[in-house]
Amino acid sequence: MPQIEHKAIQNSVAKTSTRPTLFNQRSLWSLFGIAAIISSIAQTGLFRQDIINPGGWSVFLHFLIASLHPDLSPELLSLTLDATIVTLAYAMYGTAFSVFLGLVGGVLASQVWWQSVFMTYSHRQFQPTAIAPWLIIRALLSIPRAIHELIWGLFFINIFGLDPLVAILAITIPFGAVTAKVFSEILDETPRQPLIALLSSGVSPPKAFIYSLLPQAFPYLLSYTFYRFECSIRSAAVLGIIGAGGLGYQILLSLQSLRYEQIWTFFFALFLLNGSVDFWSALLRHHLGSPNRLDLNSLKLQGSKRPTINRQSHLILFASSIGAIALLLCSFSIKIDYTKLWAPRTIQLLEEFIGEVFPPNINTTQFGELFNLSTQTLAMSILAIALAGLGGMLLCFPAARILLPGGVLNPISQSPHHWFWGTIILLLTRSLLLISRAIPAPIWALILLFILFPGILPGAIALGLHNLGILGRLMAEVIEELDERPLRSLQALGATSPQVFLYGVLPNALPQFIAYILYRWEVCMRETVIVGLVGAGGLGRLLTEQLSSFDYKSLVTTLLCFIVLTFGVDLLSASFRRLVR
Amino acid sequence: MSVGIKSMKKKLLCGIVFFLLTLAACSPKSSETSPSGETKNQPFTVGAIPDQDPEKLQRLYSKLATYLQKQLGVPVTYKPVTDYTAAVTAFKVGDLDMVWFGGLTGVQAQLQVKGAQAIAQRNIDNQFHSIFIANKTTGLKPIQNINGLKELKGHTFTFGSESSTSGRLMPQYFLKQAGVSLNDFKGQVGFSSSHDATLKLVEAGTYDAGVLNEQVWKSRVQSGEANLNKVEVLWRTPSYYDYHWVINPSVNQRYGNDFIKKVQTALLKLNPNVPQQKEILDLFGAQKFIPTKNSNYAQIETIGRDIGMIK
Amino acid sequence: MSGTDPIFELKHVAKRFGKSRVLANINLQILAGERVALVGPSGAGKSTLLGLLNGTQLPSQGEVWVFGRNLARLSPSQLRQVQRRIGTIYQQLHLVDNLRVIHNLNAGHLGRWSLFKAVVSLFFPLEVETAAQALFKVGIPEKLYERTDQLSGGQKQRVALARVLVQNPIVILADEPISSLDLGRSREIMDLLRDMSEQTGQTLIISLHAIELALSHCQRIIGLRQGRILFDVPAPEVLPEMVEALYRIENARTEPIQKI
Repeated sequence: MPQIEHKAIQNSVAKTSTRPTLFNQRSLWSLFGIAAIISSIAQTGLFRQDIINPGGWSVFLHFLIASLHPDLSPELLSLTLDATIVTLAYAMYGTAFSVFLGLVGGVLASQVWWQSVFMTYSHRQFQPTAIAPWLIIRALLSIPRAIHELIWGLFFINIFGLDPLVAILAITIPFGAVTAKVFSEILDETPRQPLIALLSSGVSPPKAFIYSLLPQAFPYLLSYTFYRFECSIRSAAVLGIIGAGGLGYQILLSLQSLRYEQIWTFFFALFLLNGSVDFWSALLRHHLGSPNRLDLNSLKLQGSKRPTINRQSHLILFASSIGAIALLLCSFSIKIDYTKLWAPRTIQLLEEFIGEVFPPNINTTQFGELFNLSTQTLAMSILAIALAGLGGMLLCFPAARILLPGGVLNPISQSPHHWFWGTIILLLTRSLLLISRAIPAPIWALILLFILFPGILPGAIALGLHNLGILGRLMAEVIEELDERPLRSLQALGATSPQVFLYGVLPNALPQFIAYILYRWEVCMRETVIVGLVGAGGLGRLLTEQLSSFDYKSLVTTLLCFIVLTFGVDLLSASFRRLVR
Repeated sequence: MSVGIKSMKKKLLCGIVFFLLTLAACSPKSSETSPSGETKNQPFTVGAIPDQDPEKLQRLYSKLATYLQKQLGVPVTYKPVTDYTAAVTAFKVGDLDMVWFGGLTGVQAQLQVKGAQAIAQRNIDNQFHSIFIANKTTGLKPIQNINGLKELKGHTFTFGSESSTSGRLMPQYFLKQAGVSLNDFKGQVGFSSSHDATLKLVEAGTYDAGVLNEQVWKSRVQSGEANLNKVEVLWRTPSYYDYHWVINPSVNQRYGNDFIKKVQTALLKLNPNVPQQKEILDLFGAQKFIPTKNSNYAQIETIGRDIGMIK
Repeated sequence: MSGTDPIFELKHVAKRFGKSRVLANINLQILAGERVALVGPSGAGKSTLLGLLNGTQLPSQGEVWVFGRNLARLSPSQLRQVQRRIGTIYQQLHLVDNLRVIHNLNAGHLGRWSLFKAVVSLFFPLEVETAAQALFKVGIPEKLYERTDQLSGGQKQRVALARVLVQNPIVILADEPISSLDLGRSREIMDLLRDMSEQTGQTLIISLHAIELALSHCQRIIGLRQGRILFDVPAPEVLPEMVEALYRIENARTEPIQKI
């Protein structure tokens, strides 16, 4: 190239674009994140006191060895089957009711509904008249969401006693609020032209919704319903630890009497249940065209992945209807007495409970302790999500089908050798992820307490492990749904697999990963309370003490503190997510 | 293709509607049966704090339920719960009519349910003790008096359940008297959840030392479940009032005015000379049941308030 | 490799996807420095043919020889050796949207770079000058540090071209590079491609819908219809009847190709 032209180019480049500095908003936030993780580690007292209990290894080893010979006696197996059915039935009812709540709440919490009611849908901007009711509904929905299922369960036990209703309502109420929020977002993102056409010809909003927006959004709503069912299964297992029955309850009982062989039998049942439900739901969601929770969360509905229901899905549909019928049969196994909902005893107990709770005991001398415990809780959630995020990112790649022959990182190989090892690695990482998410966080915490002293570290690790399983799976889904074309084009110019990974897979997946991690951080924050209940530290620990001393007035203060913390984390996470998008 | 989508959607929709309909249809059916036959046939439900192996409890209380059913002439069932707090809550809500409580939980229950009465205790419960134990490899030696508890400083230590009287409340009270605070132990103090778990965890060396109720200790030594090559007794605490039966006053309305009296009599009547009844008493670790009253637990209440377990 | 040896040689090549046969019995030689246009209706098999040429797909039958080597016989690393000398531009651009333009351009180096260098460059962009020159040539030098998803369709197409410049291959394959652009932009891009090929002597194989641009910018025209070569002639010899036959709509349009 001639020298002169060369110079001209250099000049023009220098003029028009300068190399951006490394110190931008993003790198600052990353530094902030790292600082948060380090200070959280400091909070655990890792550098100050004994954390690991060396005396516990023998018990822990014993526990692990027991996995090789689970208790398979007929009595225990029949107990396991019963417990599994109960867990499934709770999840089933919980999902059904929460979807019903979500549908009603979702319509009422959507902007488009209020715009239709006030006939302001033709305006670009959201009109102030419609904002007021919308805001009120939104605010109402945010409170049940902030409180974990387990706390709802503890509340309902005080009103209904030991009854299946406790577990079902404990799932229904927070999940209903979450579902309503997501449904409302789906409705708001759905194209409105058909709705406007109906409204402008004088059709009332409810009818117009039924004939336009709801059928349009139906595949997404259905897809999200299946995702909720997966969550309900995990939730139903957790609710066992407050005595609601099912697998979680049996595991806790066996753990308390240190009968490891029995625990493993229940664990295997839990793996089987979670694995098959997750597989089934992922299959259906994939065929409904919205495989990805984040698609619903960040809502790019008009994108390339419009739902397609093709002919091949006949078989899947058939299989899933059989699954649905099996579920229905399961749900008959528990008897629910709905009259309890309005029985005089319930109302009397509710009155008594409210009397015990109000006025809340707001004691200024406690503020110091509350603040201290809040920082511990926050540290626990940060550590948990750091562990889950890192572990999930490490495990999601081998858990996705990209390494198999034909996958994006191994496109043309057909060698049986590659098939063999690829499949082994795939199955191994997937079962690791399944195991870590199927075991409820409090049970993880109890196991960790064999080898760690009580404190926020076992709690954080327990939460981290559980969420790692969930995140890893969601991330693997992200990778499998990546647009393969840019990756294939990198391959076509001779890039090696690691290079394709660096320049193609990672840049496209990372923003979605971070969005997932932030979203999951909110969940982690809510879940700190449930590991606290089994002796891990933070506000949950205080909550346990207040529960066991029936100090409900102070308990309300702790809960309020917890809700404030949850809202804070939600806000932070939402603003980070906006930055990443 | 578009026809395919339409029919598919229809099928999906049909499936969902069918599903919701059956769900709606099945639910009232189950509710029809329960409100009828409320009072008489409703079983008299007994429960217990889960202080030992759930399996042992199940065996013990099903035997007791059979005995009571025969004596009282009403159906009696046993309902297990997962933790001490849940036992108190279930008693308060009315799910459990009569519960075998520890000292602390019994006081909590009496405070929460108006008119709840302590009706019976074992012959050992008015002179109850806790046992401090240690793993032999730790080099901890038996101590002579309460001040010896200071030896535990710097070791790992576990209680039983948070709400246990003999596994937490009284031991913590005695530790406090000896000038040992919970921060003096190595790491944080554990809560094993039951006396059996405490024994097993100390035996395995997870914790250097722990504390459990004397009756469970004796019973496990007798049955050979406690490995005396691995654990030894450090100290036996002074005596205090502990376990007792608490009954809900509402049972009188349900089964007749003298029902509480009848239950108390049935319990006191358990006879070690009748083989079947001896089995029950043995499982309880007692020779017989004796009467008790609410005021016996005033000391427990004071200590409970002091430690913050009663507000 | 002398100038007369074919760069590409296809011998009795067929390609099937499941039951449907996309290409049938293709025999083809392309020499160094040629500018070849592949024309034909949608579904004729143009993209598949290009995929066979750059080694991202293997034939179901027959042999594909590139630079005198049979692709099916090569190990993955040998295949990559071949591939780094072939630059491909796609219809849908196939750029990584979440990366800055500079990294998408540097991806053209990946065939030569070590993994370490590739990692470092993601944090501190290397060989910025080469990338800047390439971008200058396609007329958008100011977009070097922009995020790729901020660019318009035409700008992205230019980045894809610039990436091929960075890669500096012996052959450029272009799969309908102008199908999403308006007529003016299409002509600009075609001019750029022709100039690149003329200046450096690079071989250019381009699949196109616009027959006029094919005739004006290429030397040799290959007509593909239903997986078979209908004609293969120098551009001046293409007759209107041939084009009409190529795009004629049959009643049995949906009839599958298995009959062949």
